[in-house]
Amino acid sequence: MLVNAELYVKDLPGQLVGSLEPISMVNGNIVGVVHNRDRIINHRICVNVTFEVDNNDDLEKLKNVWKARDVLIDSIGSVYKTASMEYLLLGLFNASYVEELIEKAAETVPFESVDVSYSTANHTKTRTAMITVEVLNEDDLDKLNLILEESCREEGIVYIRGL
Amino acid sequence: MRVLISGFGTVGQGFAEVVASRQDFFRERYGKEVRIVCAMDSKTYASDPDGLDPLELVSVKNTAGRVGRNTYEDSVKVMDSVDYDLLVEVSPTDVLTGGVGLTNIVHALECGKDVITVNKGPLALKFPELIGLARKNRCKFRFEGSVGGAMPIINLCHENLMGERIKSIRGIFNGTCNYILSKMDSGQPFEQALREAQQMGYAESDPANDIEGYDAACKVVILANSVFGRNVTFSDVNVTGISSITSEAVALAAANNMVIRLIGEVSDSKLEVSPRLIPKGHPLGISGTLNAAQILSDLAGPIAITGRGAGRKETASAILSDLIAIMDARK
Repeated sequence: MLVNAELYVKDLPGQLVGSLEPISMVNGNIVGVVHNRDRIINHRICVNVTFEVDNNDDLEKLKNVWKARDVLIDSIGSVYKTASMEYLLLGLFNASYVEELIEKAAETVPFESVDVSYSTANHTKTRTAMITVEVLNEDDLDKLNLILEESCREEGIVYIRGL
Repeated sequence: MRVLISGFGTVGQGFAEVVASRQDFFRERYGKEVRIVCAMDSKTYASDPDGLDPLELVSVKNTAGRVGRNTYEDSVKVMDSVDYDLLVEVSPTDVLTGGVGLTNIVHALECGKDVITVNKGPLALKFPELIGLARKNRCKFRFEGSVGGAMPIINLCHENLMGERIKSIRGIFNGTCNYILSKMDSGQPFEQALREAQQMGYAESDPANDIEGYDAACKVVILANSVFGRNVTFSDVNVTGISSITSEAVALAAANNMVIRLIGEVSDSKLEVSPRLIPKGHPLGISGTLNAAQILSDLAGPIAITGRGAGRKETASAILSDLIAIMDARK
Protein backbone atom coordinates (compact mmCIF):
# COMPACT_ATOMS: atom_id res chain seq x y z
CA MET A 1 0.00 0.00 0.00
CA LEU A 2 1.18 3.46 -0.88
CA VAL A 3 0.88 5.93 1.98
CA ASN A 4 1.40 9.65 2.31
CA ALA A 5 2.17 11.13 5.72
CA GLU A 6 2.74 14.64 6.95
CA LEU A 7 5.03 14.69 9.96
CA TYR A 8 6.45 17.39 12.21
CA VAL A 9 9.97 16.78 13.48
CA LYS A 10 12.10 18.86 15.82
CA ASP A 11 14.31 21.35 14.01
CA LEU A 12 17.51 19.71 15.19
CA PRO A 13 20.30 17.85 13.31
CA GLY A 14 19.49 14.19 12.68
CA GLN A 15 15.74 14.54 13.24
CA LEU A 16 14.85 14.16 9.55
CA VAL A 17 16.83 10.91 9.27
CA GLY A 18 15.33 9.82 12.58
CA SER A 19 11.84 10.19 11.14
CA LEU A 20 12.59 8.30 7.92
CA GLU A 21 14.63 5.45 9.36
CA PRO A 22 11.58 3.71 10.93
CA ILE A 23 10.08 3.24 7.45
CA SER A 24 12.99 0.95 6.60
CA MET A 25 12.57 -0.78 9.95
CA VAL A 26 9.15 -2.05 8.83
CA ASN A 27 10.53 -3.01 5.40
CA GLY A 28 8.90 0.00 3.82
CA ASN A 29 10.09 1.72 0.67
CA ILE A 30 10.38 5.51 0.53
CA VAL A 31 9.01 6.89 -2.72
CA GLY A 32 9.55 10.59 -2.04
CA VAL A 33 10.34 13.10 0.71
CA VAL A 34 9.73 16.86 0.85
CA HIS A 35 11.33 18.82 3.69
CA ASN A 36 9.08 21.87 4.13
CA ARG A 37 11.42 24.25 5.93
CA ASP A 38 8.93 27.09 5.40
CA ARG A 39 6.31 25.32 7.53
CA ILE A 40 7.50 25.52 11.12
CA ILE A 41 5.19 25.11 14.09
CA ASN A 42 6.44 25.10 17.69
CA HIS A 43 10.05 24.65 16.51
CA ARG A 44 9.08 21.66 14.43
CA ILE A 45 9.54 21.38 10.68
CA CYS A 46 7.03 19.73 8.38
CA VAL A 47 8.17 16.63 6.48
CA ASN A 48 5.93 15.15 3.82
CA VAL A 49 6.85 11.57 2.97
CA THR A 50 5.33 9.08 0.56
CA PHE A 51 6.20 5.43 1.10
CA GLU A 52 5.10 1.86 0.46
CA VAL A 53 4.46 -0.71 3.19
CA ASP A 54 3.14 -4.24 2.84
CA ASN A 55 0.07 -3.98 5.03
CA ASN A 56 -1.79 -2.19 7.81
CA ASP A 57 0.10 -4.08 10.51
CA ASP A 58 3.39 -2.62 9.29
CA LEU A 59 1.81 0.82 9.10
CA GLU A 60 0.62 0.53 12.71
CA LYS A 61 4.10 -0.56 13.81
CA LEU A 62 5.54 2.45 12.02
CA LYS A 63 3.11 4.85 13.69
CA ASN A 64 4.09 3.45 17.09
CA VAL A 65 7.81 3.94 16.36
CA TRP A 66 7.17 7.52 15.25
CA LYS A 67 5.25 8.24 18.43
CA ALA A 68 8.04 6.73 20.52
CA ARG A 69 10.57 8.94 18.72
CA ASP A 70 8.51 12.06 19.34
CA VAL A 71 7.66 12.49 15.67
CA LEU A 72 4.25 14.18 15.41
CA ILE A 73 1.92 12.73 12.81
CA ASP A 74 -0.19 15.53 11.40
CA SER A 75 -1.96 13.45 8.78
CA ILE A 76 -1.65 9.98 7.39
CA GLY A 77 -3.60 7.64 5.22
CA SER A 78 -3.71 9.36 1.89
CA VAL A 79 -3.50 6.00 0.24
CA TYR A 80 -3.17 6.22 -3.48
CA LYS A 81 -2.71 2.56 -4.32
CA THR A 82 -5.95 0.65 -3.81
CA ALA A 83 -6.85 -3.02 -3.89
CA SER A 84 -9.30 -4.12 -6.56
CA MET A 85 -11.33 -7.26 -7.06
CA GLU A 86 -13.85 -8.62 -9.52
CA TYR A 87 -16.91 -10.65 -8.57
CA LEU A 88 -19.27 -12.56 -10.81
CA LEU A 89 -22.71 -13.42 -9.46
CA LEU A 90 -24.91 -16.00 -11.21
CA GLY A 91 -28.47 -16.86 -10.30
CA LEU A 92 -31.98 -15.66 -9.78
CA PHE A 93 -31.70 -12.02 -8.73
CA ASN A 94 -32.44 -8.56 -10.01
CA ALA A 95 -30.54 -5.31 -10.12
CA SER A 96 -32.00 -4.11 -6.84
CA TYR A 97 -30.57 -7.16 -5.07
CA VAL A 98 -27.08 -6.20 -6.24
CA GLU A 99 -27.62 -2.58 -5.22
CA GLU A 100 -28.77 -3.62 -1.76
CA LEU A 101 -25.86 -6.01 -1.46
CA ILE A 102 -23.38 -3.26 -2.27
CA GLU A 103 -25.09 -0.87 0.16
CA LYS A 104 -24.93 -3.50 2.87
CA ALA A 105 -21.24 -4.12 2.17
CA ALA A 106 -20.51 -0.38 2.15
CA GLU A 107 -21.65 -0.20 5.78
CA THR A 108 -18.58 -2.27 6.67
CA VAL A 109 -16.15 -1.61 3.84
CA PRO A 110 -15.53 1.89 2.45
CA PHE A 111 -15.43 1.67 -1.34
CA GLU A 112 -13.18 3.80 -3.51
CA SER A 113 -15.22 2.79 -6.54
CA VAL A 114 -17.81 0.21 -7.59
CA ASP A 115 -18.80 -0.75 -11.10
CA VAL A 116 -21.56 -3.23 -11.98
CA SER A 117 -22.37 -4.70 -15.36
CA TYR A 118 -24.96 -7.32 -16.28
CA SER A 119 -25.18 -10.00 -18.93
CA THR A 120 -27.35 -8.97 -21.85
CA ALA A 121 -28.78 -12.45 -22.37
CA ASN A 122 -32.51 -12.47 -21.71
CA HIS A 123 -33.54 -15.97 -22.79
CA THR A 124 -33.15 -17.35 -19.29
CA LYS A 125 -34.44 -16.27 -15.91
CA THR A 126 -30.99 -16.32 -14.39
CA ARG A 127 -28.86 -13.21 -14.45
CA THR A 128 -25.16 -12.66 -14.37
CA ALA A 129 -23.59 -9.61 -12.80
CA MET A 130 -19.97 -8.53 -12.80
CA ILE A 131 -19.03 -6.30 -9.88
CA THR A 132 -15.67 -4.55 -9.95
CA VAL A 133 -14.66 -2.84 -6.73
CA GLU A 134 -11.75 -0.78 -5.48
CA VAL A 135 -11.13 -0.61 -1.76
CA LEU A 136 -8.42 0.91 0.36
CA ASN A 137 -6.47 -2.21 1.22
CA GLU A 138 -6.34 -6.01 1.25
CA ASP A 139 -7.93 -6.23 4.69
CA ASP A 140 -11.05 -4.49 3.37
CA LEU A 141 -11.04 -6.90 0.46
CA ASP A 142 -11.05 -9.87 2.85
CA LYS A 143 -14.02 -8.36 4.71
CA LEU A 144 -15.86 -7.77 1.43
CA ASN A 145 -15.19 -11.33 0.28
CA LEU A 146 -16.81 -12.66 3.44
CA ILE A 147 -19.87 -10.41 3.14
CA LEU A 148 -20.52 -11.28 -0.50
CA GLU A 149 -19.83 -14.99 -0.04
CA GLU A 150 -22.19 -15.26 2.92
CA SER A 151 -24.95 -13.26 1.28
CA CYS A 152 -24.74 -15.21 -1.97
CA ARG A 153 -24.75 -18.52 -0.11
CA GLU A 154 -27.93 -17.51 1.74
CA GLU A 155 -29.64 -16.57 -1.53
CA GLY A 156 -28.40 -19.59 -3.51
CA ILE A 157 -26.43 -17.38 -5.87
CA VAL A 158 -23.20 -18.65 -7.40
CA TYR A 159 -20.33 -16.38 -6.41
CA ILE A 160 -17.05 -16.27 -8.29
CA ARG A 161 -14.26 -13.94 -7.26
CA GLY A 162 -11.01 -12.92 -8.85
CA LEU A 163 -7.56 -14.02 -7.78
CA MET B 1 15.88 -52.54 -7.01
CA ARG B 2 12.96 -54.97 -6.91
CA VAL B 3 9.64 -53.33 -7.66
CA LEU B 4 6.10 -54.51 -7.03
CA ILE B 5 3.48 -52.70 -9.09
CA SER B 6 0.00 -52.59 -7.59
CA GLY B 7 -2.46 -51.53 -10.28
CA PHE B 8 -1.83 -52.23 -13.93
CA GLY B 9 -4.10 -49.80 -15.73
CA THR B 10 -2.92 -46.93 -17.87
CA VAL B 11 -0.44 -45.57 -15.32
CA GLY B 12 0.93 -48.96 -14.27
CA GLN B 13 1.51 -49.94 -17.88
CA GLY B 14 3.09 -46.55 -18.60
CA PHE B 15 5.48 -47.04 -15.70
CA ALA B 16 6.40 -50.55 -16.90
CA GLU B 17 7.21 -49.13 -20.33
CA VAL B 18 9.34 -46.38 -18.79
CA VAL B 19 11.25 -48.94 -16.69
CA ALA B 20 11.97 -50.91 -19.87
CA SER B 21 13.17 -47.81 -21.69
CA ARG B 22 15.46 -46.60 -18.87
CA GLN B 23 17.38 -49.77 -18.00
CA ASP B 24 20.59 -48.39 -19.55
CA PHE B 25 20.22 -45.32 -17.35
CA PHE B 26 19.73 -47.45 -14.22
CA ARG B 27 22.76 -49.64 -15.06
CA GLU B 28 24.95 -46.61 -15.68
CA ARG B 29 23.84 -44.66 -12.59
CA TYR B 30 23.46 -47.50 -10.07
CA GLY B 31 25.25 -50.45 -11.66
CA LYS B 32 22.05 -52.48 -11.53
CA GLU B 33 18.70 -52.79 -13.21
CA VAL B 34 15.23 -52.09 -11.88
CA ARG B 35 13.40 -55.40 -11.81
CA ILE B 36 9.63 -55.66 -11.73
CA VAL B 37 9.18 -58.77 -9.56
CA CYS B 38 5.40 -58.59 -9.34
CA ALA B 39 2.57 -56.81 -11.09
CA MET B 40 -1.01 -56.90 -9.84
CA ASP B 41 -4.17 -55.71 -11.52
CA SER B 42 -7.57 -55.82 -9.82
CA LYS B 43 -7.93 -59.61 -10.07
CA THR B 44 -4.71 -61.23 -11.26
CA TYR B 45 -0.99 -61.02 -10.75
CA ALA B 46 2.27 -62.15 -12.28
CA SER B 47 5.46 -62.58 -10.32
CA ASP B 48 9.05 -63.70 -10.85
CA PRO B 49 11.88 -63.14 -8.37
CA ASP B 50 14.31 -62.77 -11.29
CA GLY B 51 12.20 -60.01 -12.82
CA LEU B 52 9.39 -59.90 -15.34
CA ASP B 53 9.68 -58.48 -18.84
CA PRO B 54 7.89 -55.09 -18.53
CA LEU B 55 6.87 -54.92 -22.18
CA GLU B 56 5.61 -58.50 -22.08
CA LEU B 57 3.44 -57.57 -19.08
CA VAL B 58 1.91 -54.69 -21.04
CA SER B 59 1.36 -56.89 -24.06
CA VAL B 60 -0.36 -59.63 -22.01
CA LYS B 61 -2.56 -57.07 -20.27
CA ASN B 62 -3.65 -55.57 -23.58
CA THR B 63 -4.33 -58.88 -25.31
CA ALA B 64 -5.72 -61.00 -22.47
CA GLY B 65 -7.23 -58.22 -20.37
CA ARG B 66 -5.27 -59.40 -17.33
CA VAL B 67 -1.67 -59.01 -16.23
CA GLY B 68 -1.10 -62.58 -15.02
CA ARG B 69 -2.53 -66.08 -14.86
CA ASN B 70 -2.75 -66.19 -11.07
CA THR B 71 -5.92 -64.85 -9.50
CA TYR B 72 -6.17 -63.46 -5.98
CA GLU B 73 -8.68 -62.25 -3.42
CA ASP B 74 -6.33 -60.62 -0.93
CA SER B 75 -3.64 -58.29 -2.28
CA VAL B 76 -1.76 -58.39 1.04
CA LYS B 77 -1.20 -62.13 0.65
CA VAL B 78 0.22 -61.54 -2.82
CA MET B 79 2.54 -58.84 -1.44
CA ASP B 80 3.69 -61.19 1.34
CA SER B 81 4.53 -63.87 -1.20
CA VAL B 82 7.01 -61.64 -3.03
CA ASP B 83 10.45 -60.30 -2.06
CA TYR B 84 10.48 -56.64 -3.11
CA ASP B 85 12.09 -53.35 -2.11
CA LEU B 86 9.62 -50.82 -3.44
CA LEU B 87 5.87 -50.71 -3.94
CA VAL B 88 4.57 -48.62 -6.83
CA GLU B 89 0.90 -48.14 -5.90
CA VAL B 90 -1.13 -47.00 -8.91
CA SER B 91 -4.50 -48.65 -8.38
CA PRO B 92 -7.67 -46.58 -9.03
CA THR B 93 -8.43 -43.72 -6.63
CA ASP B 94 -11.14 -44.20 -4.02
CA VAL B 95 -11.63 -40.93 -2.14
CA LEU B 96 -14.31 -42.35 0.16
CA THR B 97 -12.37 -45.22 1.74
CA GLY B 98 -8.89 -45.15 0.24
CA GLY B 99 -9.66 -48.54 -1.31
CA VAL B 100 -7.15 -51.32 -1.88
CA GLY B 101 -4.49 -48.68 -2.49
CA LEU B 102 -4.61 -47.62 1.16
CA THR B 103 -4.41 -51.24 2.32
CA ASN B 104 -1.42 -51.93 0.10
CA ILE B 105 0.47 -48.77 1.06
CA VAL B 106 -0.06 -49.34 4.79
CA HIS B 107 1.04 -52.97 4.51
CA ALA B 108 4.15 -52.12 2.51
CA LEU B 109 5.18 -49.40 4.97
CA GLU B 110 4.52 -51.68 7.92
CA CYS B 111 6.84 -54.20 6.28
CA GLY B 112 9.55 -51.54 5.90
CA LYS B 113 9.21 -51.17 2.14
CA ASP B 114 9.62 -47.91 0.25
CA VAL B 115 6.48 -46.68 -1.50
CA ILE B 116 5.71 -44.49 -4.49
CA THR B 117 2.09 -43.69 -5.23
CA VAL B 118 -0.02 -41.47 -7.43
CA ASN B 119 -3.19 -42.70 -5.74
CA LYS B 120 -4.93 -39.62 -4.33
CA GLY B 121 -7.44 -41.44 -2.13
CA PRO B 122 -5.05 -42.73 0.56
CA LEU B 123 -3.15 -39.42 0.57
CA ALA B 124 -6.29 -37.31 0.88
CA LEU B 125 -7.70 -39.46 3.67
CA LYS B 126 -4.75 -40.69 5.72
CA PHE B 127 -1.77 -38.50 4.97
CA PRO B 128 -0.48 -37.94 8.54
CA GLU B 129 -0.85 -41.63 9.37
CA LEU B 130 1.01 -42.72 6.24
CA ILE B 131 3.83 -40.22 6.75
CA GLY B 132 4.07 -41.28 10.40
CA LEU B 133 4.23 -44.94 9.43
CA ALA B 134 6.92 -44.25 6.84
CA ARG B 135 9.01 -42.32 9.39
CA LYS B 136 8.55 -44.96 12.06
CA ASN B 137 9.73 -47.73 9.75
CA ARG B 138 12.37 -45.56 8.02
CA CYS B 139 10.75 -45.97 4.63
CA LYS B 140 10.85 -43.59 1.71
CA PHE B 141 7.35 -42.47 0.76
CA ARG B 142 6.95 -40.30 -2.34
CA PHE B 143 3.92 -39.16 -4.29
CA GLU B 144 4.93 -36.50 -6.84
CA GLY B 145 2.55 -37.79 -9.51
CA SER B 146 -0.50 -37.49 -7.25
CA VAL B 147 -0.74 -33.73 -7.90
CA GLY B 148 -0.34 -32.26 -11.36
CA GLY B 149 0.84 -35.44 -13.13
CA ALA B 150 4.04 -34.55 -14.95
CA MET B 151 4.05 -31.03 -13.53
CA PRO B 152 6.66 -31.11 -10.75
CA ILE B 153 5.19 -29.39 -7.71
CA ILE B 154 5.65 -31.40 -4.51
CA ASN B 155 9.32 -32.17 -5.03
CA LEU B 156 9.84 -28.63 -6.33
CA CYS B 157 8.54 -27.25 -3.05
CA HIS B 158 10.39 -29.80 -0.89
CA GLU B 159 13.71 -29.85 -2.70
CA ASN B 160 14.30 -26.91 -5.04
CA LEU B 161 12.53 -24.41 -2.81
CA MET B 162 14.00 -25.86 0.37
CA GLY B 163 14.51 -23.03 2.86
CA GLU B 164 11.81 -20.85 1.35
CA ARG B 165 8.69 -20.04 3.32
CA ILE B 166 5.91 -20.92 0.93
CA LYS B 167 3.03 -18.52 1.47
CA SER B 168 0.47 -19.99 -0.89
CA ILE B 169 -0.09 -22.28 -3.85
CA ARG B 170 -2.85 -21.60 -6.35
CA GLY B 171 -3.36 -23.75 -9.35
CA ILE B 172 -5.35 -25.59 -11.96
CA PHE B 173 -5.27 -29.16 -10.74
CA ASN B 174 -7.92 -30.77 -12.93
CA GLY B 175 -7.35 -30.91 -16.67
CA THR B 176 -10.91 -32.04 -17.42
CA CYS B 177 -12.45 -28.92 -15.89
CA ASN B 178 -9.91 -26.77 -17.64
CA TYR B 179 -10.76 -28.40 -20.95
CA ILE B 180 -14.49 -27.76 -20.41
CA LEU B 181 -13.98 -24.14 -19.34
CA SER B 182 -11.61 -23.55 -22.27
CA LYS B 183 -14.27 -24.85 -24.65
CA MET B 184 -16.82 -22.56 -23.00
CA ASP B 185 -14.44 -19.66 -23.74
CA SER B 186 -15.01 -20.49 -27.39
CA GLY B 187 -18.77 -20.29 -26.98
CA GLN B 188 -19.74 -23.90 -26.28
CA PRO B 189 -22.38 -24.42 -23.59
CA PHE B 190 -21.36 -26.42 -20.51
CA GLU B 191 -23.28 -29.60 -21.36
CA GLN B 192 -21.83 -29.80 -24.86
CA ALA B 193 -18.30 -29.13 -23.64
CA LEU B 194 -18.72 -31.85 -21.02
CA ARG B 195 -19.99 -34.37 -23.58
CA GLU B 196 -17.04 -33.55 -25.83
CA ALA B 197 -14.67 -34.07 -22.89
CA GLN B 198 -16.26 -37.48 -22.29
CA GLN B 199 -15.95 -38.42 -25.98
CA MET B 200 -12.29 -37.38 -25.95
CA GLY B 201 -11.71 -39.61 -22.93
CA TYR B 202 -10.86 -36.73 -20.59
CA ALA B 203 -13.99 -37.09 -18.44
CA GLU B 204 -15.51 -40.24 -16.94
CA SER B 205 -19.08 -41.31 -17.78
CA ASP B 206 -19.88 -40.11 -14.24
CA PRO B 207 -18.05 -36.78 -14.33
CA ALA B 208 -18.92 -35.64 -10.79
CA ASN B 209 -15.45 -36.34 -9.44
CA ASP B 210 -14.00 -33.82 -11.87
CA ILE B 211 -16.69 -31.18 -12.40
CA GLU B 212 -17.78 -30.93 -8.78
CA GLY B 213 -14.18 -30.24 -7.80
CA TYR B 214 -13.59 -33.40 -5.73
CA ASP B 215 -10.50 -34.46 -7.67
CA ALA B 216 -8.95 -30.99 -7.33
CA ALA B 217 -9.89 -30.99 -3.63
CA CYS B 218 -7.89 -34.20 -3.08
CA LYS B 219 -4.86 -32.54 -4.61
CA VAL B 220 -5.31 -29.44 -2.46
CA VAL B 221 -5.38 -31.68 0.61
CA ILE B 222 -2.17 -33.42 -0.46
CA LEU B 223 -0.45 -30.06 -0.97
CA ALA B 224 -1.76 -28.71 2.35
CA ASN B 225 -0.45 -31.72 4.25
CA SER B 226 2.81 -32.25 2.42
CA VAL B 227 3.93 -28.68 1.69
CA PHE B 228 2.28 -26.68 4.48
CA GLY B 229 2.49 -29.34 7.16
CA ARG B 230 -1.21 -29.09 7.89
CA ASN B 231 -3.36 -31.94 9.15
CA VAL B 232 -6.45 -31.81 6.94
CA THR B 233 -8.58 -34.23 5.00
CA PHE B 234 -10.90 -34.04 2.03
CA SER B 235 -13.87 -32.91 4.14
CA ASP B 236 -11.99 -29.79 5.29
CA VAL B 237 -11.86 -28.32 1.80
CA ASN B 238 -14.34 -25.63 0.80
CA VAL B 239 -15.33 -27.02 -2.61
CA THR B 240 -17.38 -25.43 -5.40
CA GLY B 241 -17.44 -27.12 -8.79
CA ILE B 242 -18.01 -25.76 -12.27
CA SER B 243 -21.40 -27.30 -13.09
CA SER B 244 -23.23 -24.03 -12.43
CA ILE B 245 -21.06 -21.95 -14.75
CA THR B 246 -23.17 -20.56 -17.58
CA SER B 247 -22.26 -19.34 -21.05
CA GLU B 248 -23.43 -15.87 -19.98
CA ALA B 249 -20.97 -15.88 -17.08
CA VAL B 250 -18.10 -16.90 -19.35
CA ALA B 251 -19.10 -14.22 -21.89
CA LEU B 252 -19.34 -11.52 -19.22
CA ALA B 253 -15.91 -12.49 -17.90
CA ALA B 254 -14.52 -12.38 -21.45
CA ALA B 255 -16.01 -8.91 -21.98
CA ASN B 256 -13.93 -7.84 -18.99
CA ASN B 257 -10.81 -9.52 -20.43
CA MET B 258 -10.99 -12.45 -18.04
CA VAL B 259 -11.58 -16.19 -18.10
CA ILE B 260 -13.11 -18.50 -15.51
CA ARG B 261 -10.93 -21.35 -14.24
CA LEU B 262 -11.33 -23.89 -11.45
CA ILE B 263 -8.61 -22.93 -8.98
CA GLY B 264 -7.36 -24.83 -5.99
CA GLU B 265 -5.86 -22.59 -3.34
CA VAL B 266 -3.92 -23.63 -0.29
CA SER B 267 -2.03 -21.69 2.35
CA ASP B 268 -1.68 -21.77 6.11
CA SER B 269 -5.25 -20.51 6.44
CA LYS B 270 -6.96 -21.34 3.12
CA LEU B 271 -8.16 -24.62 1.71
CA GLU B 272 -10.42 -24.04 -1.21
CA VAL B 273 -11.41 -25.22 -4.67
CA SER B 274 -13.67 -22.86 -6.59
CA PRO B 275 -14.17 -21.19 -9.96
CA ARG B 276 -12.23 -17.92 -10.08
CA LEU B 277 -11.92 -15.00 -12.47
CA ILE B 278 -8.46 -14.96 -14.04
CA PRO B 279 -7.13 -12.10 -16.14
CA LYS B 280 -6.28 -13.18 -19.69
CA GLY B 281 -2.52 -13.66 -19.96
CA HIS B 282 -2.15 -14.65 -16.30
CA PRO B 283 -0.14 -17.91 -15.79
CA LEU B 284 -3.33 -19.54 -14.46
CA GLY B 285 -5.39 -18.46 -17.47
CA ILE B 286 -4.17 -21.37 -19.60
CA SER B 287 -6.39 -23.38 -21.94
CA GLY B 288 -6.83 -27.07 -22.71
CA THR B 289 -6.09 -30.02 -20.45
CA LEU B 290 -2.94 -28.56 -18.94
CA ASN B 291 -2.38 -28.14 -15.22
CA ALA B 292 -0.72 -25.02 -13.86
CA ALA B 293 0.31 -23.69 -10.49
CA GLN B 294 1.62 -20.50 -9.01
CA ILE B 295 3.73 -20.88 -5.89
CA LEU B 296 4.26 -17.77 -3.80
CA SER B 297 7.29 -17.90 -1.54
CA ASP B 298 8.90 -15.29 0.66
CA LEU B 299 12.28 -15.08 -1.06
CA ALA B 300 11.73 -16.22 -4.64
CA GLY B 301 8.36 -14.50 -4.98
CA PRO B 302 5.86 -15.99 -7.44
CA ILE B 303 6.92 -19.07 -9.40
CA ALA B 304 4.67 -20.41 -12.16
CA ILE B 305 4.79 -23.95 -13.49
CA THR B 306 2.66 -25.78 -16.02
CA GLY B 307 2.51 -29.28 -17.43
CA ARG B 308 0.36 -32.20 -18.42
CA GLY B 309 -1.74 -33.20 -15.46
CA ALA B 310 -2.49 -36.75 -16.54
CA GLY B 311 -1.60 -39.38 -19.09
CA ARG B 312 0.26 -42.66 -19.39
CA LYS B 313 3.83 -41.46 -19.94
CA GLU B 314 3.33 -38.13 -18.15
CA THR B 315 2.37 -39.71 -14.84
CA ALA B 316 5.03 -42.40 -15.30
CA SER B 317 7.53 -39.56 -15.62
CA ALA B 318 6.60 -38.36 -12.13
CA ILE B 319 6.94 -41.91 -10.75
CA LEU B 320 10.34 -42.22 -12.44
CA SER B 321 11.56 -39.03 -10.73
CA ASP B 322 10.46 -40.45 -7.36
CA LEU B 323 12.10 -43.79 -8.15
CA ILE B 324 15.41 -42.11 -8.96
CA ALA B 325 15.21 -40.01 -5.78
CA ILE B 326 14.69 -43.17 -3.71
CA MET B 327 17.47 -45.06 -5.48
CA ASP B 328 19.82 -42.10 -4.95
CA ALA B 329 18.94 -42.07 -1.26
CA ARG B 330 19.45 -45.84 -0.97
CA LYS B 331 22.80 -45.84 -2.83
